[in-house]
Amino acid sequence: MDLIFLVILLGVGYFVGSYLEKKHYQDIKKRERQTLHVPVVTFGAKQAIPHGNEAALFLGSVVVSADYFKMFASSLRNLVGGRVVVYESVLDRGRREAILRMKEQAISWGATQVVNVRLETSTVGSQSGGKGLAAIEVTAYGTGIR
Amino acid sequence: MVYKPKEIPEGVNVTSVHPLVNFAYLLGTVVVFSGLVYLGLGAIATQLATRISPELEAKIGRELISDIPHLDRESNSPKQQYLEELLTSLQKSNVNSYTPLTIYVQKSKISNAAILPGGHIIITTTLLEEAESENELAFVIAHELGHHIARDHLKGLGRSLVLLTVASVLGVGGGNANIVGITGSLTNLHYSRQQESTADLYALSAIVDYYGHGDASLDFFNRIQTKNKDKRGEFSAYFSTHPLTQKRINYLHQFAKKKGWKMKGEIKSLPNNIFD
Repeated sequence: MDLIFLVILLGVGYFVGSYLEKKHYQDIKKRERQTLHVPVVTFGAKQAIPHGNEAALFLGSVVVSADYFKMFASSLRNLVGGRVVVYESVLDRGRREAILRMKEQAISWGATQVVNVRLETSTVGSQSGGKGLAAIEVTAYGTGIR
Repeated sequence: MVYKPKEIPEGVNVTSVHPLVNFAYLLGTVVVFSGLVYLGLGAIATQLATRISPELEAKIGRELISDIPHLDRESNSPKQQYLEELLTSLQKSNVNSYTPLTIYVQKSKISNAAILPGGHIIITTTLLEEAESENELAFVIAHELGHHIARDHLKGLGRSLVLLTVASVLGVGGGNANIVGITGSLTNLHYSRQQESTADLYALSAIVDYYGHGDASLDFFNRIQTKNKDKRGEFSAYFSTHPLTQKRINYLHQFAKKKGWKMKGEIKSLPNNIFD
């Protein structure tokens, strides 16, 4: 009986999770192409930033969670060690989404480029080492200039 | 420097492995590994069952017996003395038990008998009440004795024997640690038909040695057999731990015939006022 529940949870996790992931990637790729004309660069700290009349801080943040399938697979991975392949796409989506949100704000403000971009990641909702929601927050911030 | 927008490369930070393939690999590893552990434990348990030292077995037995509820062992009661005398007289002179044996009476509504590691024989009150002659009671005790000699009780513990041995050696979980919880219910020890048969033959030869005949000794089995046919499930306690078949009873009769043992003789009744 428990096994049936597990299989159902895994099935829901896998199919719904991979469907949503696919949709999210399509969305990310579309928006990345739309915002490609504005450069996003990491230089700027202790360096002369390109000349601009105005500068402002922009912050994009997103919280993404893994599905049950991914959590189960990663708990199996915890036993043997190695690359947690299933979480790589979660973090990848998080980073790209956060950068996009930051960039879209900057573009609507009228930025010609975003410099000194930094990324930060933190876990949300999960106590250290305990079970629970395995969600991550990815924050991207940078200086938009125009 | 002029900025030229170009397509962002895909798949840099994501390994291109299908999640299901990855999952199958992980699951396979875990399944294979736990399978190996399971087989390994089984192999160790078989080795342990035949090689465990009497001292260690006694230690395990002490821990197990302390977890059994409703045990009654008044060393001075006539009932206890009677049972111990019966047990001693049943131990054949040529096959001595490798550990001293003790006998316990358990208050229980089901009729059953069991042997634990360390030579602890447990008989339930219901079994004692239902016994109609000493011969049949003796057969039940001798049967458990047969298991003891063949170390079936250790083999029956199976993989949990490894855990028990480790727990005993390390000295963890004396007293209230629920070792029985780990091992499952002790009355769920089950023996193979082969083990039952061997224990039967041992019991019958012990009975014939002691009484000079095998009469009435199989009454208990016969009674269970008929009761079990009448009411399914209700009387199956002894049955479930000791797979009993008409075949087994018949086989015993045949074996006695072959050996030239008498199956008729004087039936010794149980002493009065002991099992009330």
